[in-house]
Amino acid sequence: MRVVAVISPKGGVGKTTVTANLAVSLERLGGRVTVVDLDPQNALRLHFGMAHDDPLGIASENLPNNQWQFALMESPYGVDFLPYGIVNERQRDRFEQAIKANPDWLLIHLNSLGLGETDVVLIDTPPGPGIYLQQVLRIANIGIVILKPDAASYSTVPAIESLIAHYTKDRRDFLGHCYVINQMDPAKQLNRDVFGMLRAQLGPRFVPSSIHRDEAVSEALACQSPVSYYAQYSSATHDVQYLSNWLQQNFGLVD
Amino acid sequence: MRSILNSRYVYGRLNEIGVLLVNWSGWELKLPRTIATIIAGLLYWTAISVPMDLPLQTLFSIAIFSAALFIRRYAGTLVSLIMVMFSVCATSRYMYWRVNYTIDTTNLFDLFFALILVGAEVYAWLVLLLGYLQTAWPLKRKPVMMPADTSTWPTIDLFIPTYNEDLSVVKPTVMAAMGIDWPRDKLNIVILDDGRRPEFAEFAREIGVQCFTRSDNRHAKAGNINAALKRTNGEFVAIFDCDHMPTRSFLQYTMGWFLVDPKLAMIQTPHHFLSPDPFERNLQTFRNVPNEGELFYGLIQDGNDLWNATFFCGSCAVLRRTCLDEIDGIAVETVTEDAHTALKMQRLGYNTAYLSLPQAAGLATESLSAHVGQRIRWARGMAQIFRVDNPLLGKGLSFGQRLCYSNAMLHFFYGLPRMVFLLAPISYLFFEVHIIKASALSIAAYSLPHLLHANLTNSRIQGAHRHSFWAEVYEATLAWYIFRPTLVALVNPKAGTFNVTAKGGLVQEEHFDWVISKPYLVMLALNVLGFLIGIGRAIWWNTFELDTVILNILWTIYNLVILGATLAVATESKQVRRTHRVRAILNATLRLPNGHSIVCQTEDFSMGGMSLTIPDGFTIKKGDEIIVSLYGANGECLFPSKAVFVKKNVLSVQFLPLSLQQEKELISCTVGRADVWLNWSDRRDIDHPLNGLKEIASHSLQGFVRFGDGLRQQWDKRS
Repeated sequence: MRVVAVISPKGGVGKTTVTANLAVSLERLGGRVTVVDLDPQNALRLHFGMAHDDPLGIASENLPNNQWQFALMESPYGVDFLPYGIVNERQRDRFEQAIKANPDWLLIHLNSLGLGETDVVLIDTPPGPGIYLQQVLRIANIGIVILKPDAASYSTVPAIESLIAHYTKDRRDFLGHCYVINQMDPAKQLNRDVFGMLRAQLGPRFVPSSIHRDEAVSEALACQSPVSYYAQYSSATHDVQYLSNWLQQNFGLVD
Repeated sequence: MRSILNSRYVYGRLNEIGVLLVNWSGWELKLPRTIATIIAGLLYWTAISVPMDLPLQTLFSIAIFSAALFIRRYAGTLVSLIMVMFSVCATSRYMYWRVNYTIDTTNLFDLFFALILVGAEVYAWLVLLLGYLQTAWPLKRKPVMMPADTSTWPTIDLFIPTYNEDLSVVKPTVMAAMGIDWPRDKLNIVILDDGRRPEFAEFAREIGVQCFTRSDNRHAKAGNINAALKRTNGEFVAIFDCDHMPTRSFLQYTMGWFLVDPKLAMIQTPHHFLSPDPFERNLQTFRNVPNEGELFYGLIQDGNDLWNATFFCGSCAVLRRTCLDEIDGIAVETVTEDAHTALKMQRLGYNTAYLSLPQAAGLATESLSAHVGQRIRWARGMAQIFRVDNPLLGKGLSFGQRLCYSNAMLHFFYGLPRMVFLLAPISYLFFEVHIIKASALSIAAYSLPHLLHANLTNSRIQGAHRHSFWAEVYEATLAWYIFRPTLVALVNPKAGTFNVTAKGGLVQEEHFDWVISKPYLVMLALNVLGFLIGIGRAIWWNTFELDTVILNILWTIYNLVILGATLAVATESKQVRRTHRVRAILNATLRLPNGHSIVCQTEDFSMGGMSLTIPDGFTIKKGDEIIVSLYGANGECLFPSKAVFVKKNVLSVQFLPLSLQQEKELISCTVGRADVWLNWSDRRDIDHPLNGLKEIASHSLQGFVRFGDGLRQQWDKRS
């Protein structure tokens, strides 16, 4: 099991979209990929064509024996995924209490899925620090931080750095983390400036090709399909492919 | 299977033997060298001078030629050298026989013509031998990487001399120079404007480079550079003609050699042309058949490098300032200041180097007349050097250097010999002059081995850089024009003036160039006439020496083929574009007005627009505004453009007006790329002597057809 944490310091950067599209792209590279949605927004499933009103998910209280494999869904795109589930406030509170009580909560559940040694697990986390991120960072092998090319994202980098360092500095099984810019618009000078500054500051941890802002991404979501299926020749598809190749080259993610 | 293994084995063994022979430590000593030279000399003399009767000579020739045909299947330099040896012997044997047995001294009239032909043949023999010496073993030098610490890198002045060229030609060169990967504070780019034009100074200020002018134009380009040398102080000087755009890697590839060889005075890289020269344009052979310059830059300079005799070609080169200072700057005595500069530095014991990596590209001459003008200058200049600073004489050169430089100069004297060959058969056909006193059969027995070996060997050595028989066309086109200036320069090296090659012109419509083709038409008419008389001689008047008549008729036919091709060259075809499109596959992304994007590749690019291959399923209309992204050293660059042509999978766009910054980025994403010129000849056919002849014959046929069209046009105009 190779656990990849997808992290964003703030909301609205398109983290869930990147997670879904990256999963499909890694699968195309030859990996067996499972995506876990730990974000209460429960939006990941929409990229894989799951019905809007289907409440099933890992947070659902009617999950038999609390076993995750009963929430595991097969997508038509070769990727398996675990939705968060539709829950009310009270249910979510209880769910989170259980997580807080057990530092190994995520590990236990992932182990129960019986995944192979080389299988990739991509985990979507809610924006900013929190209990979900703590759980993920305790076991993740690789971290991918998604940023937008703006001043707000730029200012969050030090906090994210120390957060990741806090949970991973003594772990030998943590291979490293990287930063990806999403929704890049090279026509905007500010975008280019932030891109340049981040590249200079982060060096080898900076993925040198960002994911461009592309109308095809929103349209793909409206059609409940990954962008590589919706618009094969779009730059977004191309950029996500680049990202998975980069992960492959730098971390050997897929065998 | 067995034969493959066998041939691999032989190939491996041959090369082992070659390497062993070359690396033998005994060559360092004088004695073994002298003994080997004497033995080789005796063997050579025997091979060329032993008398044989006709059947034996025929048998001997067949045996040697069969051996050559057999070994040419194997790769490797040693096999090439063996083939060179065969060819040298066959040609020398022919020359020996020709000089000793075939000159009729009884009739003064005949003797006069015979001596002219023999003279031309001796010249051809000499140039063939020197050519083999130059090209048999190209050095194939590789770049030396620069040290990681850029603070140790030297300072460089990069000069772009210009006189009357348009700013639009010079602009891309300056921008490409600014894109070179070199510490910014160690690269000083200077436009040397001998035209003293205000718009050049303005442009230089705007973009941030220097622009020098001077009060006079003494010594043209050489004087221009020398004036700039006095006003700068970089450790090295890089020189680019105003239309030669360097790639970003130019300095990093070339400068390494200066650091490892402190005696290195100059390193030269090829002149690569992104636009077709008049031969390529008028014969439509662009990128399929190696052009006239490729033999020189692909092979001869690389061969010169083995002998430490690479010479400076005026552009795309770097020179060490201290060495230039020692010879008082660029040479000004001749109109080919570049070659002479190198010669002068080498006389002082400095080395020169050649790196056969195209790291800059420029525009070829646009019309045949401009091309001819340029070659006249080269020929004149080389003849001038031969006269005023002969490389065979004077101090400081090694034997190899003397021969290489001499051949570079001797080469330009081909004008007269080439015309002699093109006109020789008519001396018999017109006047019954027997210029070769021998039966046609013995002529065949001696000359055929010479011709066959020379073609076979040269096809092997030069084939990648010049297809067989093309030299004849190139030379026939220029022969008349360089014949006079070289002769004049030999007599009086100071006569004549310096002429600048026009670049950036446009041929408005297809036409036959009646002015430049005059010498071809005269030679053609004489050969046609000779051919007709020959028919008469064969049928009525000279039936007693039918073999001689037929030999001369065949020679005439060959001449007609070559001259026909020059007619094709003289038919200027129409040029449609001002900015040249370069066929190249580059990654690109299109951003459409509706927010969608297409990842695709270019088909070709120019400074004004590009064509792209796009996948199915996209609707783009003519006039749509599209943003094209290209990728360069500094990442993605955007170019706003407009769709001007849309067809199923092909989209052509024209750039909207670009800012200076965007133009610079366009250069760095296209012609500034380190790899952009490297696979230029990928789609080219491999040379085979017979194919070369076929190519020429078909061009010749077209030449006659187009000449006919030209005649008709002229007729229509009159009436």
